Amino acid sequence: MGTRKALVFSNRQMRRVDEILVRLREASGSRFIALVSTSGQPITSSSVDASPDALSLASLAASSFAATQQLAEILAEREFTLLFHEGRDSNLHVSPVTERVLLVLTFGRETQLGKVRLYTNRAVEALAPIFADAERDEEDLAIDREYSAKADQAIEDLFADAE
Amino acid sequence: MPLINFAAREINYKIVYYGCGLCGKTTNIQYIHRKVNPSARGKLVSIATEEERTLYFDFLPLSLGTVKGMNTRFHLYTVPGQSHYNASRKLVLQGVDGVVFVADSQISRLDENVESYLNLWDNLLDQSDDLSRLPTVLQLNKRDLTDIFSVADLTELLNHTSSLVVEACALTGVGVFETLKLICKQVIARTAQA
Repeated sequence: MGTRKALVFSNRQMRRVDEILVRLREASGSRFIALVSTSGQPITSSSVDASPDALSLASLAASSFAATQQLAEILAEREFTLLFHEGRDSNLHVSPVTERVLLVLTFGRETQLGKVRLYTNRAVEALAPIFADAERDEEDLAIDREYSAKADQAIEDLFADAE
Repeated sequence: MPLINFAAREINYKIVYYGCGLCGKTTNIQYIHRKVNPSARGKLVSIATEEERTLYFDFLPLSLGTVKGMNTRFHLYTVPGQSHYNASRKLVLQGVDGVVFVADSQISRLDENVESYLNLWDNLLDQSDDLSRLPTVLQLNKRDLTDIFSVADLTELLNHTSSLVVEACALTGVGVFETLKLICKQVIARTAQA
């Protein structure tokens, strides 16, 4: 089953990704940028000041984007290429990087939507090939039976107090 | 499919609570949110109708802490149980690592349980997934009520994958953490084998 494959990011990939995100944030004048998986999990982020709740944001942004794709299908549109929410003080922009990765930006009145779109498109072009390589490095070995045994103990410890 | 980020030393797993309307999926998540160590949980996000029926999903992130150098998290989701919300259920199932099927034990809810169970199979097949290959726990909820099916009957009806079965009363918390422990251990064991 193809979809059961883990989404794995190596150190090398993430170094390149983080450089691109910082450049994008500076060039576009955005406040906060995050990469999230289409299943709603956060990958990485770059922020001017305090980050928003990244876990909730990833979950909600991915869900909203997935919903817009379904809306497109209902309207017989091949796809909606981005999701944009305009607020009084801040705006949210979500666009796909690959089939499994989304780029989320927030920005305020200090910049313009056109500028954000321009630099976002350029960043997506640079990011997509990085994620296209299904890289795995030797650290992959960290997820082994020893990890499984230690995680089992951590699960027992965490939930023991709650029962 | 777990998300593994070696640069941030993070692993995230997605667990989905599935089942028919009013079977107790949200009650499970709310109980976990109330009882688990606050430092281990994130914010509980609920997208619900005015009548507090789940419209899209509930979401609760739980942190297991650092395991062998990797910060390990479980993201718990529920789906909306009412049959007309199938498009939303499909979206929530994307990228799922493990499923808790919550069955309402009441005899009067038989049709809804079976419909939801078949719907789970269908929706997973639509995304090229297969329940028989996915970590799954069957939670038999509302065992405190009268007019309920026996464990054997419900297992025959709703457990075609020989999954582990837990008897529960989510309102009072009976079986809630036992279910959570079993599904968490299964999704981790699966990654370690991969």
